[in-house]
Amino acid sequence: MIRTGSKFLIGLAALNAVTLIAYLLFVERLAIGGVALSIVFAAVCGLSAVAIIVRDGDDEAQPADAALVGASMWPLVTVVGVVLLALGLITSSAVFVFGIVVVLAGLIEWAVQSWSESASDDPAYNAATRKRIANPIEFPVLATLGVGVVIFSFSRIMLAVSKSTGAVLFLVFGTIVLVGGTLFAVRPGLKRSIVTGLCTLATLGIVAGGIASAGVGLRADLVEAAAEGHYSHRECGPERSKYFDKLEMRTLSLRSNVVATVELRDGKLTAYEFGVQSPTQAITIQRSNPVNVIFRNYDEGEFRLVASPGKAAADAMEKPEELCTQLIPEGAEQSLTLTYAKASIDRGPYSLFVAGLTGQSIEVFVP
Amino acid sequence: MNKLASLRRTVTRIGALLTGVVVTASCAQNAPQDTWAPKGPNAQMIDDLQKPVFAVAGIVGLIVVVALGWVLWRYKDRGQPIPEQTHGNPVVEITLTLIPALILAVIGVFTVRVIFDLAKTDDTEMIINVTGQQWWWEYDYPVQNEFGIAQPIVTSGQLVIPAGTKVLLRETSRDVIHSYWIPALNGKRDAVPGRIHTLRLEADEPGIYAGQCTEFCGLSHANMRMEAIALSKEDFAKWVANQQAPYVSPAEGSLAKEGEGVFLNQCVRCHQVDGLKRADGTLAIAAPDENVWSGAAPNLTKLMTRNTFAGAMFDLLTPACRPGVWNASPAEFGEKYLAGVGEECLNVNDLRAWLRNAPEVKPMYANPDQLGPTNGKVRGMPNLGLSESDIDKLVAYLLTLK
Repeated sequence: MIRTGSKFLIGLAALNAVTLIAYLLFVERLAIGGVALSIVFAAVCGLSAVAIIVRDGDDEAQPADAALVGASMWPLVTVVGVVLLALGLITSSAVFVFGIVVVLAGLIEWAVQSWSESASDDPAYNAATRKRIANPIEFPVLATLGVGVVIFSFSRIMLAVSKSTGAVLFLVFGTIVLVGGTLFAVRPGLKRSIVTGLCTLATLGIVAGGIASAGVGLRADLVEAAAEGHYSHRECGPERSKYFDKLEMRTLSLRSNVVATVELRDGKLTAYEFGVQSPTQAITIQRSNPVNVIFRNYDEGEFRLVASPGKAAADAMEKPEELCTQLIPEGAEQSLTLTYAKASIDRGPYSLFVAGLTGQSIEVFVP
Repeated sequence: MNKLASLRRTVTRIGALLTGVVVTASCAQNAPQDTWAPKGPNAQMIDDLQKPVFAVAGIVGLIVVVALGWVLWRYKDRGQPIPEQTHGNPVVEITLTLIPALILAVIGVFTVRVIFDLAKTDDTEMIINVTGQQWWWEYDYPVQNEFGIAQPIVTSGQLVIPAGTKVLLRETSRDVIHSYWIPALNGKRDAVPGRIHTLRLEADEPGIYAGQCTEFCGLSHANMRMEAIALSKEDFAKWVANQQAPYVSPAEGSLAKEGEGVFLNQCVRCHQVDGLKRADGTLAIAAPDENVWSGAAPNLTKLMTRNTFAGAMFDLLTPACRPGVWNASPAEFGEKYLAGVGEECLNVNDLRAWLRNAPEVKPMYANPDQLGPTNGKVRGMPNLGLSESDIDKLVAYLLTLK
């Protein structure tokens, strides 16, 4: 005879199977979610089999008193998860995956609570048993979620306020955390309600600030940068770029894979190929192979080395993008990583030149 | 007891047989990758170091083996009582630590000196870029007017250098780590993606020097070979001039002309032949970056001036013609090599087999059904499904690339 516990596990396995099929059909095949659901399904099937074989354990020891069974919020949580699953099917996979997490969490908690309530005739002992099983999982998960919410809220605040305000806020928050931590450490007898109250207040403050900041949006310069892509494309003209040239690097620590060093000295551009002592006005770079070129500026003023991208393909809609170093002052050096997939005879001529300096260039052969 | 004696006899015989095989193998005459036969100053430096080191190591090894044998024989179990056990003998321990330490220190001094000498590049006379990829080597010669190289030369399979010239190889790789090794000219040097490593080669006199990729690099690692060709300075100048000579299209109506058409339809997707033009007069430009995982395929300009193809796995010369070049005296070598490969000496069987179904004769990742991980790009040459007629035409065409 299949008993109540076995029926519960079989139902759980059936629900899991439906979820797995829905996931594979509507979300994504061969994804990590499908693998996880498959493993859970296999595990629940195994548990079901064990429960059926042992007839839910020793039935004689099970308390018959229905009063041992307390109220539970987990069926409600599970139903919310199922609703999220349904919503996810018609909205987005993120909602669906979140639904899976909620359903699994609800079912697991429900199962653990049901199991603990049948442990003995003593409700207090049963509750303690549930805590012993569930708390080592619940506490880290809830703590991670809580810390995640706080960090996310704090990041919204930092992205909304100006840079200088952000620095001040960071100092203030850091100081508060330090002072609070020190206080709790040196006053271990502090009332628990005070500690809880302070932590709750601080958390709520940060979360409220995060929500408000999210409503305000990013600060102006970030909005501008995101809109114009200052950090994703280089500005290779002779003039100083507001963003690209900011905090330019002046020295190199990495000198690997250097195919040539290009020097600007007395207004003249000269290249020195790796392994060759004599100067040259033409360098060779193997195709389909990333290499570095070091640019050194020995002249007064700020200059940048630019790599011409060559011609666009005949059927290409967009012009190839130039690559360049930042503007660097006298005595500084930077490297430029170049990869040419096409030969010079195809998309060339390729060259290296200094922005704003006419009549000086290094020819780049790509055989 | 009889079984034990029989087992001992068998083991002794097998040991003797293996030793005999190893000893007789060292007498092989046809050993182009012999590490004890230096043909250039860099390899000579290594040889000058390794011979004394080998002698010292051999003497030490012999002493150890003889001592071990003597101890085993002298103190073998004859039923005698176990002797008194002792522990620790400072004099013996210090002596046996100091002697090896001193030997290693002396060897270390000379080794470090040779390492630094081999790394010397400031007197380089010529540079060549060497790029490894699965499973062939590309050589490109940057512009060097002093050697008559007015435009970059790209070749593969055989590295051609002027004899008596300090050549600096700038090695890198387009895919995985390979290792360049011409034992007669220098030691090994890894070709690593994202790095440029240098290796100096210099050949004393004209000839062919064989090598082999020595870093496991995938399916056809064993078939990734190379040959360094040293020519006299005069012959090297001729070779350079020929490599830069304009492309000559086969005569209209010839089989080779039809082969040029096949090449333009099939091969030019990956293989470049400098100067080759399409019917509309535009240059035919290969796009290996769109078809090959490494982004490169051998440039076949002047293919028949080389003696090998398919990553130097196959000879372009027939077995009958090959010794004429390989065994030529240094004085005659240049003329024979520069003659290239003609129809009478073409190893047409291997070439046709390669064109018919390349992955069948050289293991490569070129099965169109298994190119998912490489986004549809091949590693090696795929089976192009050419008809026998097309192969005839292609062979005729390739023969004109001299």
